[in-house]
Amino acid sequence: MADSQLQKRLFLDIPTAFLLLFFVLPLVALVVLSFWQTENYKIVREWSTINYRTLATEKAYVTFFVRSLVMAVAVSTTLVVLSWPIAYFIVRYGGRYKLIFSLLLVIPFLSGEVLRLIALQGMLGPAGLINGALVKLGAAPLRFIMYSNVASFIALLYLYLPMVVTTVYLSLLNFDFRLASAASACGAGRLQVFTEVIWPLNLSGTLVGFMLCFVPTLSASLVPRFLGGPNGQLYGMSIAQQFGESGTWALGAAMGVVLFLFSALALVTLSFGVNLRRTGFTGLGRQ
Amino acid sequence: MKPKTTEALIKWLLAAFLVLAYVFLYMPIVHILFASLSTRPNFPYPPELNFASYSRLYNNSVYQSAFANSLIIATCTAVLATVTGFLATVGVLRFGGRRALFYAVLFAAPLFVSEILLGISSMSLYYLAFGIQGNMVTAIIANSVHCFSFSFLIMAALLYRYDWRMNEAAIVCGASPMRAFWEVMLPLTWSGIMGSLICAFVLALNGLDISFYLLGATPTMPSVAWGALRYGVKPELYALSTIINFAVFVAILGLYLRIRSEARKNRRRASTAA
Repeated sequence: MADSQLQKRLFLDIPTAFLLLFFVLPLVALVVLSFWQTENYKIVREWSTINYRTLATEKAYVTFFVRSLVMAVAVSTTLVVLSWPIAYFIVRYGGRYKLIFSLLLVIPFLSGEVLRLIALQGMLGPAGLINGALVKLGAAPLRFIMYSNVASFIALLYLYLPMVVTTVYLSLLNFDFRLASAASACGAGRLQVFTEVIWPLNLSGTLVGFMLCFVPTLSASLVPRFLGGPNGQLYGMSIAQQFGESGTWALGAAMGVVLFLFSALALVTLSFGVNLRRTGFTGLGRQ
Repeated sequence: MKPKTTEALIKWLLAAFLVLAYVFLYMPIVHILFASLSTRPNFPYPPELNFASYSRLYNNSVYQSAFANSLIIATCTAVLATVTGFLATVGVLRFGGRRALFYAVLFAAPLFVSEILLGISSMSLYYLAFGIQGNMVTAIIANSVHCFSFSFLIMAALLYRYDWRMNEAAIVCGASPMRAFWEVMLPLTWSGIMGSLICAFVLALNGLDISFYLLGATPTMPSVAWGALRYGVKPELYALSTIINFAVFVAILGLYLRIRSEARKNRRRASTAA
């Protein structure tokens, strides 16, 4: 008995300590830093809330934040709508090719944000595939996909599509489709089966997918910097600048805290709709 | 008759949509492949077969040192994330008990904190505590936190069907717990571990946000690529990108073959048992 207690300690406490030290503690440090100031690239250890006041009053930061928020909601919602038919097809009709279909999603995901942006630039840029083909055919190039918020939108869809499809796929994979057959045998129409059985029972997995896309999109820094153009500056890019060029770490830390609190708030709000046992993530549902 | 035709119609519409999605995902990658092999990288159609950009990449010393740094970070991250992820998976699935859900949420939490936040918060901690901006070790640790959640989820998804009585059976038959782990558990859970290793390795190899804040001037592959990107894309970058994509493809193919052969073995075992 004592031996299994020791084992339990070992298996659960080591990862917990790892996260506390290197995940929770850094976040605490960020909060502390956000209440200090930076002057001439040096940190001044005086407590004040001036960073937060700057964020609330300076118009540019509010604009960046609202723009990021609109972008994140738009991208995540679009991705959920796009992911459902894909995941549904793989689960229902994939048969023995299910594994191939799902692994094919992983390959683009793993090739890395920078390299994927390079690839996308080859498609959307002024001399890229789409505009190059249009010019060759004698048409005018599409201006709205070069260095604009539309370009950022497409790029973010491209970056996170595999992740959202995989989440919805895992949820549907663990869904018992006999429930849908039962509903239709009881006289429910196709639409009714979907809206009253399939969708609500997979809502948890869908919401997790939404959050997994919403969080990184809200803090996107590379995409707007590279594809967003002059009017495309987003909040995450502004944070990166505080820690980079302008050297105002404390303000950047405050921006980070705001970002974290907002993501956490969104997470808590949505988690009322999430039943983790239904997400199919950890197999908890089948125990 | 009629419901059948609607059923078929829905199926084919969905199939068309799936194909469209894969085209969207893979067209840029294929475009880059052509661009890296062409003397006209901007519009490489019709495709050519020219390896000049690959040899330029091979002779570029900046990319070489960056590649070495990235390789060290990715290897250490993959091992650290997989070991901690394995402990976490076993902990939750076997010893979690009533608090399994709590631990599962805790271990998945880094997934919901963006990489840039992880980067700047780790940098703040090391700066406040030690006055250093970061080095390879801190970069590896911060990357491991991010990859840990992925490792945990991948292994949990593949391990939850594992029958823990097998370890106990081995121990009853006289094996030490270590030997039971090496000779019974490891072979049976290998595809989960391999998936986690591959995923963490590639994520750390290609991640820019975390390493960027923790490494200062040390070049890594994504940071060099990012720097080059700001001064106009060069064909060498296309070549680099193609090589990485190819490596990822081979790794995933290996994983696929492994999972498939395991499933076959299980099926055969089940049919002989029956």
